[in-house]
Amino acid sequence: MSTQKEELEIAEGGVDYDALEDRLGDTAIDRESHVNAEGFVVRPDEVQDALFALRDDAGFDHLSLVTAQEYEDRYESIYHLKKFDDPTQEVSVVVPTTKDDPVSQSAEPVYRTADWHEREAYDLVGIDYDDHPDLRRILLPETWKGHPLGKDYDQNKPQVVSFKQHANPLKQDHKDAESDTMFVNIGPHHPATHGVLHLETTLDGETVADVEPDIGYLHRCEEQMAQQGTYRHQIMPYPDRWDYSSAGLLNEWAYARAAEDLADLDVPEYAQVIRTMGAELCRIAGHMLAVGTFALDVYGDFTAIFMYAMRDREKVQAVLEDLTGQRMMFNYFRLGGVAWDLPEPREEFFGKTRDFLDDLPEALEEYHDLLTGNEIFQSRCIDTGILEPEVAKQYSATGPVARGSGIDYDLRRDDPYGYYDELDWDVITEDGCDNYSRVLVRMQEVEQSAKVIEQCVDLLEDWPEEERDIQSNVPRTLKPDPDTEIYRSVEAAKGELGIYIRSDGTDEPARFKIRSPCFHNLSVLPEMANGEYIADMIASLGSLDIILGEVDR
Amino acid sequence: MIGLLKSMATTMKHALDGNTFTVEYPETAPEVSPRFRGVHKFSQERCIWCRQCENVCPNDTIQIVTDEQRNAEQYNLHIGQCIYCRLCEEVCPVDAILLTQNFEFTGDTKDDLVYNKEQLKNVPWYKDIDPLESREPDRGAWIDEGDGELDYQ
Amino acid sequence: MIAQQKTLLPERVAGLLGLDQFGMAGDLLATFLAAFLVGNLMLAMTGVAGPWAKRKITAAFTDRIAVNRIGPFGLFIIVADAVRLLSKELIIPENADRPAFDLAPIVVASSALLGFAVIPMGNGVHLADPEVGLAYVFAVAGIASIGLAMGGYASANKYSLLGGLRAIAQNIAYEIPLVITAASVVIFTGSLRMSTIVQTQAEPLLTVAGLSIPSWFAFVNPFAFVLFVVANLAEVGRNPFDTPEAPTEIVAGYQTEYSSVYFVLFYLGEFLHIFLGGAIIATVFLGGPAGPVLPGLVWFIIKIWAVFLLTQWFRSAIPRVRIDQLIQIGWKGMLVLSFANLVLTAIIVGVIV
Repeated sequence: MSTQKEELEIAEGGVDYDALEDRLGDTAIDRESHVNAEGFVVRPDEVQDALFALRDDAGFDHLSLVTAQEYEDRYESIYHLKKFDDPTQEVSVVVPTTKDDPVSQSAEPVYRTADWHEREAYDLVGIDYDDHPDLRRILLPETWKGHPLGKDYDQNKPQVVSFKQHANPLKQDHKDAESDTMFVNIGPHHPATHGVLHLETTLDGETVADVEPDIGYLHRCEEQMAQQGTYRHQIMPYPDRWDYSSAGLLNEWAYARAAEDLADLDVPEYAQVIRTMGAELCRIAGHMLAVGTFALDVYGDFTAIFMYAMRDREKVQAVLEDLTGQRMMFNYFRLGGVAWDLPEPREEFFGKTRDFLDDLPEALEEYHDLLTGNEIFQSRCIDTGILEPEVAKQYSATGPVARGSGIDYDLRRDDPYGYYDELDWDVITEDGCDNYSRVLVRMQEVEQSAKVIEQCVDLLEDWPEEERDIQSNVPRTLKPDPDTEIYRSVEAAKGELGIYIRSDGTDEPARFKIRSPCFHNLSVLPEMANGEYIADMIASLGSLDIILGEVDR
Repeated sequence: MIGLLKSMATTMKHALDGNTFTVEYPETAPEVSPRFRGVHKFSQERCIWCRQCENVCPNDTIQIVTDEQRNAEQYNLHIGQCIYCRLCEEVCPVDAILLTQNFEFTGDTKDDLVYNKEQLKNVPWYKDIDPLESREPDRGAWIDEGDGELDYQ
Repeated sequence: MIAQQKTLLPERVAGLLGLDQFGMAGDLLATFLAAFLVGNLMLAMTGVAGPWAKRKITAAFTDRIAVNRIGPFGLFIIVADAVRLLSKELIIPENADRPAFDLAPIVVASSALLGFAVIPMGNGVHLADPEVGLAYVFAVAGIASIGLAMGGYASANKYSLLGGLRAIAQNIAYEIPLVITAASVVIFTGSLRMSTIVQTQAEPLLTVAGLSIPSWFAFVNPFAFVLFVVANLAEVGRNPFDTPEAPTEIVAGYQTEYSSVYFVLFYLGEFLHIFLGGAIIATVFLGGPAGPVLPGLVWFIIKIWAVFLLTQWFRSAIPRVRIDQLIQIGWKGMLVLSFANLVLTAIIVGVIV
């Protein structure tokens, strides 16, 4: 067994799918080929066997995404697996179920994060998961009738959310009559929930006995909207609206990467450098907002640090506005390149960017004075909201949240795209696992992003004029081959942002699924907050840096 | 304790330096980039009614009404629905529709935000910035793509 | 100085208006008029502080402009805001405990106003000078916690309840160090009478290059001064000890459900408490109305505004402590330090002086 395990793990430069197939043996009844990885088709009652084998024997410890979809003849759940050590090693587990009896075994015992994903699949597509601890609707109201992504769903049927079934949430003060706990609804309208998030919290005095995030208030059918847009133009404006904390270019890149790999498009090197620069500017803007709002959560009032962070974010936005024409909803990337070259006069743009970068160390010094050096801030943040690395991996937390728990995982380095592998920068990790580490990671990532931008500006400045291709030749209408499936992800400001696309031969995707980093990061909250003080729960929530637009999609 | 004092010193420094980064908005009109995308301006004279903008618009903001002989009758744009993605400007082969820098507009009802072609024509340039000037050099990238053929449908 | 201290404001008013010939009724009327004057002075200051000064100060710390549209420096926003707040709908929660809900804001605001009765503000603005002035001022300021608890409990809101409980826990934890620290001053003065405390501080501490430094207790015992300022911050519930309100955790604590007039009263009460805290600090540690050149009343107002400015400065620079940390600082830190301060002062005063 152990030799086999080693064999499966030593798959340098790629996964040995045949060995995996041998390991799975009879569990795998078929093999599919996706653009990003091979997929093993597994019987719905053997999901856990297959996943346990892949996790424990082959080291696929990262359940990146669960995609559920309905075909003409079957339902299908796809488990996209990766390794935290090497995310280029991917494998998919495809679980088809029949139309009459869409029951599939739950993956929750293997990967904790499958909990929310399967709830979403149940909610939207209508697949039942056996052995799931808590199969309820997650995005739609409890009383919703039907599963909207199912083929037989009637869009025009009115949905009646009856008041009777919708119990008054204020009615019960205690979870049960005998207990000394108090049930509090934190949100959806609360100053510290960063959007319309509802935390069903049970308080035991000042400590949190239990907290359960209730999401879906900002569900805007982003996946559906993408399914109704053409690959070439109509999808690109929408990613800006997933993570709307001015981190739009990072989201656009997620779609661009998936669609470009799907349609096999090249991107000119010059455009890659511009993309890298723009994306890192967005990351700075996103992290500034994250640090500022986290400070707001801890400080309490409308405090200086928040305004200073906003001011620096404004500066980034001004640069981005010059580049892309918009401050938040950029729509700057195009398949095969970017929409515009750098603005003329170029020297002015470079000057402005460099000015911003030159002022940045001073601004960061100020943040350190105000935040990380402040003793009260330290006493509030150190050793609160502990997220152990094993737990983070179980919940597939990524981005600064994972890196704050010492997980050395950054797709920019581990699964290189754009121009990152040509540039000199570091992945930041902190081992504290607490709120303080997550702030430190974000602040240092800003420094690293500045480093990347500086190198990009240098490159762009010296780029020969005749080689400034911003876009490759892309056909006006893209029609990828039918039933091509791809899952690709990039490192967005909040973590791994992935896109799954299945084409059906038309110019619109048949299934478009977003792997939102905030969705996973938010699901960790109960692990961090249970048993802590209510103030620390708020701080932990702030340190997760969730954007509800991305959580609910 | 030193950290607390440093925090207080930092904020006091900001209080005393007298700089503000907010502006008095209506009096001080903000600078916008030449590429900034605001309300559309439409030129009926240029338009060839090819309907590309209507087709490319991701959320049905543009509505073109023609009669049976495909003669133009109406060009309506629901500005309250627009997401300012600029795709309509990008696909327009004759620069008949442009996004000005103008972001200042109001409406009391949803209907007020539906602009017809006359209203679209009268949208003013913001601070006299003609976006065509700043954007012209980049438009070639779009038109020359593919096999060099421009597809009007 | 001594002459000022002897004639209190009611007597002066009586003398000026010739009310002293009407006996008891005249005295009462004069007292009422004098109290009306002082009360209005304080309310006017609160009016400036709440809608205008607070915004301006916070804006300065955060590099913004803030209210500047109406009137010179935006000062008329005070009127506009008053009208706006008072004209809002008064929403009373369905399950509110009525008399308590209505009384809470009044208790909070009036308890602070009562405290000003014994504060000597200079230029003869001093309403009453009882033997137990210092004890009285702490006693009436403490009533506010009852108001907060009433508001928190009667609102029928869980956030309010949490806020009310926090307010009580905090006030108990910090009232004791506050009083103990003030007691160390009383050891010096040997009297609880406010005028005596002020007088004691008028004596020169030492003379440096012809400049006489008065023996303000802030100079005599800076340690006690710092302790007192910190305890006072907690007592009035300002950053870093604003846990009873803690907007990001429990929305607005005990005042979550209050709107319109009641909210104004709560807001007034809070600012009055900051000013009362400032007045106590000024009287006990900063020589009351004493100061060079300017009249005493001006100095007094400068001193309490300085304390107000300090609270706003802390507000923009210092994070809020968690409730358990707050209680720990109170019981394990402040209380011990204040007793140590008391004992040391007693020894020093007893042995050396």
